[in-house]
This record gives sequence, C-alpha cells and structure tokens, in this order.
Amino acid sequence: MNQFVTLLVGGLFLGAIYALVAVGFVTVFKATHVINFAQGSVLLLGAYVIARSHASLGFALAVVLGVLVAAAASVAIDALLIRRIRRADLGTLAILTLGVDILLATELSRRIGTDVLNIGAPWGNDVTELFGIRIATSRVIAGAVAAVLVAGFWAVFKFTDFGIAMRSAAADGVTASLMGIRLNRVAAAAWALAGALAAVGGLFLTSFPAAGVTSGVGLLALACIPAVVLGGFDSPGGAVLGGLIIGVVSVLTAGYQEELSFLGRGLGGVAPFAVMLLVLLVRPSGLFGTREVTRV
Amino acid sequence: MVEVAVTPPAVLDVSDLRVSYAGAVKALRGVSLSVPERGVVAVLGNNGAGKSTLLRALSGTLPAHNGAITGGTIRFAGRALSSDPAAIARGGLVQVPEGRRVFANLTVEENLRAGGLAAPDQAARAEARAWIDALFPILRERASQRAGLLSGGEQQMLAIARALMASPQVLLLDEPSLGLAPKIVEQVGAVIREINERGVTVVLVEQNAAMALSVADRAVVLEVGEVALEGAADELAESDAVQERYLGMATQAPVPGHRVASRAQPLRVDDLTVRFGGLTALSDVSFTVEPGSLHALIGPNGAGKSTCLNVLSGVYAASAGSVRYGERELTRLRPHRIAALGVARTFQNIALSPAVSVLDNLLVARHRRMRSGFVADGLRLPRARRERAEHEARVREIAALIGLDELERPVGTLPYGTRKRVELARALCAEPELLLLDEPVAGMVADESEAMARAITQARAELGISVLLVEHDMTFVMGMADRVTVLDFGRRIADGTPAEVQRDPDVLKAYLGGAA
Repeated sequence: MNQFVTLLVGGLFLGAIYALVAVGFVTVFKATHVINFAQGSVLLLGAYVIARSHASLGFALAVVLGVLVAAAASVAIDALLIRRIRRADLGTLAILTLGVDILLATELSRRIGTDVLNIGAPWGNDVTELFGIRIATSRVIAGAVAAVLVAGFWAVFKFTDFGIAMRSAAADGVTASLMGIRLNRVAAAAWALAGALAAVGGLFLTSFPAAGVTSGVGLLALACIPAVVLGGFDSPGGAVLGGLIIGVVSVLTAGYQEELSFLGRGLGGVAPFAVMLLVLLVRPSGLFGTREVTRV
Repeated sequence: MVEVAVTPPAVLDVSDLRVSYAGAVKALRGVSLSVPERGVVAVLGNNGAGKSTLLRALSGTLPAHNGAITGGTIRFAGRALSSDPAAIARGGLVQVPEGRRVFANLTVEENLRAGGLAAPDQAARAEARAWIDALFPILRERASQRAGLLSGGEQQMLAIARALMASPQVLLLDEPSLGLAPKIVEQVGAVIREINERGVTVVLVEQNAAMALSVADRAVVLEVGEVALEGAADELAESDAVQERYLGMATQAPVPGHRVASRAQPLRVDDLTVRFGGLTALSDVSFTVEPGSLHALIGPNGAGKSTCLNVLSGVYAASAGSVRYGERELTRLRPHRIAALGVARTFQNIALSPAVSVLDNLLVARHRRMRSGFVADGLRLPRARRERAEHEARVREIAALIGLDELERPVGTLPYGTRKRVELARALCAEPELLLLDEPVAGMVADESEAMARAITQARAELGISVLLVEHDMTFVMGMADRVTVLDFGRRIADGTPAEVQRDPDVLKAYLGGAA
C-alpha cells in the first residue's frame, strides 16, 4: 500500500511535467491546426542550452536563455516554414514538423554524442519528505511550477484581450481576421508558448532522478503524444489530465514491473500508448475533445 | 427632398474590379461601385451573381477562398485598400460575415470584446459599448451566456454588435436576413437604419430585395459578375425589372400536379416520437403519404421537420412509434437498407462531390442498379461498357427532365440553385418510388425556386413517384402539394389539403405569431 501511494504521488509529479509539454502541443494545434511533432526536439534544445550555459551564466540565467532559445526556435518553425503553407492539409503540416524534428534532434545528438550533460539544477539530488513519502525535490518543484504555469495560462486565456484574440482565432480564423485580429501574431504567440513550455518540461525531465541531458531525451517527449490524444487534442484541460494519467500509468507500471513481468520487460514505455488506445476505444475523441458534429 | 447636384465624396470606391477563383472561374467581370459617405448601398443579386466575392475582395479574404483580384482597384478613404484582413478591419472597414459566425464557445461579452480589439482606442471601445447596450438590450441580459446558445436572430444582433465594437467607418453586412423569420428581418432593418443615423456608412448585401431596398438609398444589382442595374433604391424598387426578378411579382404559382399512376406504396407514420436526451424533437406525429401524391411537411424553423425526415431515411432512431413503407417497418433499418426499398432523399445542405462532373455525380446513384463489379468495370470489359452506356443514357434522360444541361461541368462551378437541382436529379437516378426532399428551395430567389418547382412537378408526373417535401416556406408548397402536414414545436398542428391548412387558425398563429 505504501509503495502504491509513493508511486502514485511520484506519477502525478511526473505527469505534471508531461502536462506542461502537452499544453504547449494543444495550444499550437488550436491556434494553427498543426500537429507539432517538433515539440520533442525543441524540448531537447531547451534542455541542451540550459545544460551548456549554466556553468558560465549561473542556473537562473541559463534557464531564461534556454526558454528563450526554445521559444525562438519554435516561432521560427512557424514563421519560416508553416506560415507559407498555412492552408495545407493537416497531414502535410504534421510531416513537415516531423522533418524538422529529425533535423534538429540529429544535430543536437551530434553535439551531445554519448555524453550525459548535467542540467546544473541547484536542488541536485535532494529528496524531500512529503506526508511521509520520500520524493525527489526536483519533481516537487516541477509540480509547483507546472501548477503555477497552468493556472497562469488559464487566467490569461480566460480574462485578457490576448486570450480572447487567441480563442477567437482558434474558433474561426477567417472571422477573427475580419474582426481585426492578426492571425500571424496569434500563431507566433502560440508557438512561442509551446517552445517555452517545452524548455521548462525539458529542464525537469532531465533533472534528478533522471541522469541528465542525453541525446535520447527528445524521445521522452513522445510520451506527451498519448497524453494529448487521451485528453482530446484540442482541449488544454484534457491535456493536463492526460499528462497526469500518463505520468501515473508509466510510473505505476515501472514500479510494479516485477509483478507484471508476465507482460514482458519495459512495460513502462508501452503502457501510455496502451492506455491511450483503451480510452480511444471508449471515447474516440479523447476525454474532452470536440466531437466532429455534422448536420445532415 | 432637396435637389442637390453635388454628389457626396465616396468613402469606398470600387472601380472595374475583376476577380477569379483558382485562376479560372471569373466571378467578377468589371464591377464598379461607389459608396458615398454616410450612405446605405444595397448590393442585390442571385446566388452566384458575385455578391460574396465582392465582399471577400473588400475584406481581404479572397486568398482564404483561393481567389485573387485580377484587375481594377478598390480605394477606401482615399487610399488603396490594404490586402490584409486585420489591417482593413482596424482601418475602419468592418464586415459582418454571412451566417453570422459568432464565436459559439465564447460568451456574448467575450464576443463583443473580440470585436473591440480592432477599435482605435479605449475611449472608442467604451463609447461603442454604451451604444450597443442601448441598441441591443437583449445582449446585455445574456452577456455571460455562450453565444452558441443564442437564437438565430440574437446571433445576428450579436454579430452586428461585435462589428460595431470596432467603431467602423463603413460596415459591410453579408446577408443579415438569411434564415430569419420575417419579424426578425424587420428588426434587423430597423437596426441598420439606426446604425446609419449614427453616421456609419453601410454596404448591405442581400438576397431579400424587399428588405434591402427599404433600408438603402442606392442599390446595385449584380448578375453573373457584372452590374446589371443601378440606381436610387426607391426608383429601383418601383422598376419593373427589379419587381419581376427579385420580388416575385410577376411569378405564377406552378399548376398543382394531378394524381399520377404510381408503383409506390403508402408511407404511414404513426405516433412517431424522437427524443434527444431530455429534448423531445417530435412527439406523436402521424401522417400518411399516399402513393403518387405530393405531400408537404411544413412548419417554422425548429418545428421538427428535418428530424422527421432523418428518421424516415434511417439517419436518426425513433424513440417510439412506427414508420411503415408498404408492409416494411423502417424504424429499425439502416439507411442503405431503406434506400434499397426505393426511398431516396436529398439533403438540406448540399452533399455532392464538388470536383466531379454532374454526370459522374449522377451515375453514383445508379450504383445500386449496376451489376458488373469493379474489376469488370476497371478492365472496361464489353459487358461493363454496355452497362455503363445504358445507365448513362438513363441519367441523361432524367437530367433533361430536371432541366439540367452541361453535364460535363464540375458540380463545384455551378450556381447554387443548379447544384440543388443536381441533388434532386441524383436522388431520382436511384429510381426511387418515394422521394424525400429536405428544403429544396432554401436560400433560393424566386426564379430559382420556380425552376425547382417545375423540376419536382415534372419528375413526379413522368416518373410516377410519391414525394414528401419538407419546407418552411408555406407559399412554395401551397401551389403544388396534394396534402399538407404542419408541425410546430415537434407536434402536428394541422393536416389536410392546402386550402384547409391555409385557413387553420393554429397554422396562422404558428406562422404569423400573435398578429393573426
């Protein structure tokens, strides 16, 4: 029982990180209708910049730089590549981002090689005791940061002019432009947000208990895809819930690996996708996704 | 009226504008239009005349529809118009799009704020907001509701209010009366006059010529991409040309079809009830479509007509009651099984393949009757070729009956009224015994709906089928139906011959409100 609670809480904290990355994914999809597979390599880019620069800049400035570089890279993908073919179909745009992902990830792995770069977080390998459960400090901070960021985004989207412009553009782009809303700016803002969130996610995914920044970190972001699909693709709330579910499922299956050994080893990596498929069988549009409604 | 020879300065000046889509279809062929400051100019015309294209050019949204300006100029407030929609709106030329297009998941308040984003400054927003509260009290009451929950008329008001939040110098209105009840249309007209009195120039694109001409000072009539008529609104309203074309004065109701010899069987609907969650869309509706008759199912918007048709064709499930065609119970059959019994339908929203020719769209309907498989057909074996030729001949016969020519043209390039007739023809090509028609003349002007009425009467007489016609325009069915069933709020309120139904007090009340 105690192990279960420990794993559950650990899973929720890991899920909070996934949720951040997933929210960025959904934001881009809502604003520009692009399924952004480059999110993984942008995440790696953010973590890489932080890991390379913390020695000279100090950790706080390194994080700021990493977030800015990731946001800029994300905006550049939209402004240089996507914007020209904005009206292309979903598949074309998704494959374009897949290409960008491969290019960026290849270049970053070339630079990282076989090294494991330390992310340089001041909390290092500290462990915090929370209601009798021992848990990595970095995960606790990740959870807190994720909660603050998600709440902040919710408030911005709900109450500010910028949020209204964003939601109008997501609902009906042509009409929004007739109302004077500049779609290219909305798109750039969405991509910048996604990049920044990916960098923050990257920071925590490479902190303890993870070893550090390796060339394989970009693949970790793949776990966010089941989170997004599970949540329903166009629902930020769904992305948060999906992230938490995936976090819990992967930590639980990894924790009970021995008991589940009849299902084979490495179940932790497969379980998120299995859960995604199960949910889609029951709810084909995800937990909170908009169902396609056609009037005959 | 004081006679002044001086024309006021034009705030919006369109000169010799040419627009084409996908580099080929010429939608505007040299249109000139001058909108004087503080004027109300109506742009009239049929579907396909180029009204929407003109508005797209003015709002910079042509590229989004794969269109481009190929010649001519547009000048707004003395300068060449920007090509960026957002910049145009922020410059004071604001459009209320066709079909209202409110942001359904945003609240009424948020919709208004979205409109205010294009306003020049905070003071202008506050002033516009105060004015809107006075102009549309209903919107203030429903400020925190989601816009998608408003009625059609309220959504139209919201769409206009949203545009006014930008403090426009010129307001472009695209078909504001479309799909609204006559009473609401009157209100929209009054609102437009009030807006104009506050000094806003209005360009009003309308199919409803009576409404537009009552509001406008000047009007132009577009026809196949060119200006056909132009002048002061009151003079145009008096002119014979406009009366004949757009007010339906000279049109005659088609002669009612006599009962024809028919292979069809009776369609009996008994105590049909349909519930969606807690909402009862149809309750205990009964009627019978006699073989070979033209039966009309009418009622105001939201009466349950389309729901009824969707149950008959197997798209929706019935909650209770029965639908029998001859001896067969239809309520538990899948749509394709119902089609196989000889019951065909058309859709309210056109459901054709736009890139494919008329002929091929029609041949699809012969699928049920074709025997050679795709292998034989793909290899063009003699048997398959002969079969295709036979079917093609029959399809051409039916098309001629409906008055369709140009069978090789892609459906997407045809005007709206013609596309609706292609849909009718496609349903007929399945050789049905019973044809279900869902609002065949929705959104059509007088001459288009006349062509449709002729096509329906002709098809029934020549092919010997029964027709169940769903329609909300009562005048359209009165001339042609043998029997009429009237629905209101999901209940049958009348059933009888057109003459009986026309005098029924409940029907008058449903259609004309308390005035009757």
